[in-house]
Amino acid sequence: METVDISQPKMVLLYGIAILPWLLLWAGGLRLSRDLWLSIARMSAQLALVGLYLKYLFAINDPRLNVLWIAVMLIVADFTILRRAGLRVRYFFLSTLVAVAAGTLFSVAYLLLLVIRPEPLYDARYLVPLTGMILGNCLQGNVIGLERFYSSIRKNENEYLTYLLLGASRREAVRPYFRQALSASVSPTLASMATLGLVSLPGMMTGQILGGSEPWVAVKYQVAIMLCIFASMTLAGVLNLALSLRFAFNELDVLRGEVFRPS
Amino acid sequence: MILRDVSFEVREGEKAVFCGRSGSGKSTVLKALLGLYPLATGAIYFEGRSLDRDAVAAIRACAAYIGQEPVLGADTVRDALLLPFGFTAHRGKAPSAEMLTRTLLRLGLTASILDQDCIRVSGGEKQRIAVARAQLLGKRLYLLDEVTSALDPESKQAVLEFLADPGLTVLSVAHDPDWIARCDTSFELDEGRLTRAA
Repeated sequence: METVDISQPKMVLLYGIAILPWLLLWAGGLRLSRDLWLSIARMSAQLALVGLYLKYLFAINDPRLNVLWIAVMLIVADFTILRRAGLRVRYFFLSTLVAVAAGTLFSVAYLLLLVIRPEPLYDARYLVPLTGMILGNCLQGNVIGLERFYSSIRKNENEYLTYLLLGASRREAVRPYFRQALSASVSPTLASMATLGLVSLPGMMTGQILGGSEPWVAVKYQVAIMLCIFASMTLAGVLNLALSLRFAFNELDVLRGEVFRPS
Repeated sequence: MILRDVSFEVREGEKAVFCGRSGSGKSTVLKALLGLYPLATGAIYFEGRSLDRDAVAAIRACAAYIGQEPVLGADTVRDALLLPFGFTAHRGKAPSAEMLTRTLLRLGLTASILDQDCIRVSGGEKQRIAVARAQLLGKRLYLLDEVTSALDPESKQAVLEFLADPGLTVLSVAHDPDWIARCDTSFELDEGRLTRAA
């Protein structure tokens, strides 16, 4: 079964759907016109570029090129996580990169090498989109985790220092904030897993059904991706917080003020 | 610069107090000794040696810092008192129930406070619970920042008597004349400089 293509005139028609929310926001007194159209323009340009790139990536299907693409995605994710978490790249670039790469690649490898086993194993059609989906979710989780962790310690500095002065090691003193941050980072995925299929049809499953897959196959892929997202997000989150401790505190276990980006 | 050329000597068992206007750097002296302030320039010396990681660890091991608003860090008073004994450094050394009660009584508190929620205890009670916790940990050096400020006369008397123990060394910041009168040594700080020692 072929997917119905959307012709260029229909694409123009599609953009028309944004006029309604724009008018509603404008009537509501929200001056978001510039942001709205800029976001739509950015989304279109970025996706067009990715579409173009993926077309060639799939056609060439060279493992080196696939690895290079994944490396670029990981580095962009690293910068994005730290910027959104309000932390300076200079201190956490390495810890976040290692954590996110380990978390993401663990699940991707598990999925491709043990479960799906595409032919060849590095097939870009599987490797790139699956890595992208898992990484995208890891990114969200790590932003929440890092931001919550360091802002809590900064906000509760007296409490943290009290733990230290009562004999806690650095790891023991950060444990309450670690728990809170980890819980905040995985909770949205847990909640979304619990309601998946009831409240919404997930994107990947919808895409596969539109692409002609049997619903049952689409369901299996969706389960696979959700489990991988959860595993990756937790692994990357734990690793990221644990590795970052080394860079965020001075040798006397006091949180360095300079690790935060000026707000 | 917050502190400059501040040099002082406090002997074991001595009670010393830093006086001075707000912002003169009194509290900073206490916290700097605990390694809580990164140094912009200069150095801090403790027992003649630069305050490095080992020296800070040694000070933190023997010192208790109690501020105006101590953090109890637990849900109930009992949990707050036992909190440090969950850390590796103090594991297996948790005090008995009898010891808890005896320590609280010494500070004018009763055992009934043990099951109270920390958010329900008053500022003065918090300060005494923090002192009790330090006592349970066997701390010998007390760094106190206005620790008698929130206490009623009776509670204050209990704390003053507790601190009078000759085995305890106290380095404090205070405006309270009753406490200052009991101290062996007082230092005056002005704009981060030591201006008088008596």
